[in-house]
Amino acid sequence: MATETSTSDGGESGRAGLKQNAKYYILSYPLAWLVFVFLVPLGMLFMFSFWVHVPGTGYTPGFTLDNYARFFTSSLYVQQLWVTVELALVTAVVSLLLGYPLAYYLARIDRPWLRNVLLITIISSLWITYVIRAYAWQVILASRGILSSLGVATGILGSHQSFYPGYWGLVVGMVYVFLPFMVLSLYSSIRNLDGELLEASKNLGAGPVRTFRRVTLPLTKNGIASGTSLVFILALGAYVLPRLLGTPNQRTLPVLIEQQIMSESNYPFGAAMSVLLIVVMVVFLWALVRITNVSAANIGGGEAVAGEDETATTSGSGALSGLWSRLAGAVAATGLGRVYGSVASAVSNRIAVVDSDTRESVIGTTFRVYVAAVMLFIAAPLGIIVAVSFTPEEFLTFPPGGFSMRWYVEFFTNPAWVRSLVNSLTIAAAAALLSTSIGGVLAFTLDRFDYKFGALLGTFGVLPILVPPVIIAVAFLVFFLQIGLTGTRTGIIVAHGIFYAPLPFILITQGLSELNRTYEEAAMNLGASPVRTIRTITYPLLRANVVSGALFAFILSLNEYIIAWLLSLFLVKTIPIQIFNQLRYSYPPTIAAASTVFILLTVVVMTAIDRLSGGIWE
Amino acid sequence: MSGISLQGISKRYSGSVLAVDDIDLDIESGEFVTLVGPSGCGKTTTLRTIAGFEKPTAGTVHIGGKDVTDAPPYERNTGMVFQDFALFPHLTVHENVAYGMEADGGYTDEEIDARVAEMLELVELPGTGDRKPDQLSGGQQQRIALARALAPKPDALLLDEPLASLDKKLREQMQVELRRIQQEVGITTVFVTHNQEEALTMSDRLAVMNEGKFEQVGPPGDVYNEPETRFVADFIGTANIFDGAVTQTEDGYVSVDCGDVDVESTATRETAVGDDVSVVARPERFNFQSSTADERDENVFTGEVTFRRHLGSSVEYRIETAEGREVVVVRPSGLDEHEPGEQVTVSVDADNCRVVSP
Repeated sequence: MATETSTSDGGESGRAGLKQNAKYYILSYPLAWLVFVFLVPLGMLFMFSFWVHVPGTGYTPGFTLDNYARFFTSSLYVQQLWVTVELALVTAVVSLLLGYPLAYYLARIDRPWLRNVLLITIISSLWITYVIRAYAWQVILASRGILSSLGVATGILGSHQSFYPGYWGLVVGMVYVFLPFMVLSLYSSIRNLDGELLEASKNLGAGPVRTFRRVTLPLTKNGIASGTSLVFILALGAYVLPRLLGTPNQRTLPVLIEQQIMSESNYPFGAAMSVLLIVVMVVFLWALVRITNVSAANIGGGEAVAGEDETATTSGSGALSGLWSRLAGAVAATGLGRVYGSVASAVSNRIAVVDSDTRESVIGTTFRVYVAAVMLFIAAPLGIIVAVSFTPEEFLTFPPGGFSMRWYVEFFTNPAWVRSLVNSLTIAAAAALLSTSIGGVLAFTLDRFDYKFGALLGTFGVLPILVPPVIIAVAFLVFFLQIGLTGTRTGIIVAHGIFYAPLPFILITQGLSELNRTYEEAAMNLGASPVRTIRTITYPLLRANVVSGALFAFILSLNEYIIAWLLSLFLVKTIPIQIFNQLRYSYPPTIAAASTVFILLTVVVMTAIDRLSGGIWE
Repeated sequence: MSGISLQGISKRYSGSVLAVDDIDLDIESGEFVTLVGPSGCGKTTTLRTIAGFEKPTAGTVHIGGKDVTDAPPYERNTGMVFQDFALFPHLTVHENVAYGMEADGGYTDEEIDARVAEMLELVELPGTGDRKPDQLSGGQQQRIALARALAPKPDALLLDEPLASLDKKLREQMQVELRRIQQEVGITTVFVTHNQEEALTMSDRLAVMNEGKFEQVGPPGDVYNEPETRFVADFIGTANIFDGAVTQTEDGYVSVDCGDVDVESTATRETAVGDDVSVVARPERFNFQSSTADERDENVFTGEVTFRRHLGSSVEYRIETAEGREVVVVRPSGLDEHEPGEQVTVSVDADNCRVVSP
């Protein structure tokens, strides 16, 4: 006879079905980390910003608005706030101008091997710590540095001069560091562009400039928008670059925050500035979104394509890509992309007098030279570090006056460096495991079970990486001060583990969504229990994603500076901290050797990821 | 071997659509039953209910006399072949075929190896054990999927549109092959397809499904020749269907007023004057006539040949009457040839027509 059975679990019985209440037990693991070790520190940061600073002894709980008042009543701080924003904007715009032609070239090039070489070069530099990359520019821009020496040698400069610290030296460094993000965002957007559209435009009589302005540019404005906003946000939170390449006039908010914490021990004021940095960021994003909504009506045609492409950085998370596409439209509306159009048409007018063949070849040659120059700008600095690391001399020279491994011997025999290396590797390995366990379990539970607030939990999973590292650092610092984890490796491991959990989360979510469920059904049909199915089918099919996620977390943790530095309270030294500290006092070539070892390590891990995923970058 | 029994099975998804609506089906041991119907008719849901991937909202599932309604998929001992085969891409052919026996745990390594070899022999792919699924052609993957499903000696074989992803020629070849293996093993089989031709050629019995219900269950010949509903007549094979109301019933014959034409048919079901019914006549039951001889028990249509196509052994004509009705007629090839544009008269005997529910 008909038996009534439960209907509430409608779509789930076919999945690697675990018991109903199991879903809450499993979720509790990542959720506990994210709530108690991510939200709580952020909440404490907010709370701390109202506490009272006691010079000498530290702070006492209480409620005061003095920290905020101090910020806004000081013209110095308000001015530095503006400098921070301006610097981020300039970085974003310059990155766009440099990045678009390069991205366009990469997307349209018909030699796959060259594209791979260029992409791997761009992507590899992305993961190397800001400390080493800032150091590279110090080497280039310093008095008697490469640029200065070249200037003197060619007679352009009368005498040696230093190009840093200073505003433009800083901008160059910032653009260098954030340009890869721009190029990758634009690249994926231009790749999605159907080549036939360009041919159609040319067939209809439009020249290259007109085709670019009327077809390419409107159809890639999403990439422009996402790249620009990504660079803007990253630049806003940058600490290392302004600190190492800027003058005191270019002390950005993150630099001021670090000073309050590490030099002044004024935690409440540091916390207040961190909260302000978040506010600035949110207000800016909100403003951008508002601008889009207003002007979206005016843009008219071309909007249909707007929602379709996804940037490489956002794939895998619905919540994130939603955020992204909104940002995308926003920045497009601010008209940053239009700069291109006007430059292009100016060039076009200038050379309109010559025939179209000459015009095309002039444009083509100019384009190629420009792309080559940008590529050199991205690739050269790290190459220079590697080159100078082999100098036999006591100080850095370029070109190096010979070949010697002495600084590598120094690096591997000096106990301070070795201890830093061991610290770095230990912290990165442990943080990678923690990240992967949090991100992986969250990805798995969200994929397998329906939760009331599933979408919210998904956003929660990517949230940590969206918070600027300096804010994560201060939040964890005030949190660890309470539970006594400051100045320990464990503290840094926990902070990195949470901060980088979104990477395994995104990669494993993506793997799960691409996983054909029928495999699991087939396994269960053949008599495999849910646990056996996960062990023999699900995990092996996901392994590349899991390992890639772990390696990403590893490499980022390895190269992370500001969080490790603030949480170390001078007690723990990692390689980036060690390099940074050395840069404050002297420039022994050991730094270059250490950097080279780190670059090599990073390239090896990135290659492993690439192998594993069979070309994750495509 | 063992049969399958579905009693009062209903499946409602998340409180809204009734995908399967109170169906009963008894499948005998060793029988090959096909569930056929358009997409969304509930056939796949029914199959997945047997496999245990769906829990029925109401009703019971018995396999081999055992109530498995609440048993999870891995405790049902069914062997399923999936539409896209679902061969584990990271395992070799041997490991795929051995998977079920390893999960079972009751086999020694030697037994497993012997059984895998036997299965590969059965599907005529011996020696492919070391290959990975992506090194096999579509047809080979299909055979390995079958071998994998049969290896753990399941009580029933469940086939979810396994031929849909093959090209036409391979599909026809696999129809024969599948049936051969099924009969050789003698396993109870449930086959799901939307392809009525596949259903007719392969099954002992077929169950035509529509909107979650069985329209008709029976051997292929019965379903084709004696459809009980308009849906079945239309879905299985080609049919001329005349919708109308009964005007007269007499001596086992029925007259139906279809508006443009009155149709006579054998009374294949109880009807009363005024009932809405459909009259079905298969195209191959029609004859061409030289004159318009009007006999009482014949339905005669005169019109123009608008379309003609050769089907090999037969020729199909489409004839449009003055009233605008299209009649499809299929005649053996080479018997009587008519050109498009020609005025013709065709007729079908009332005995060759059936009255079905509309």
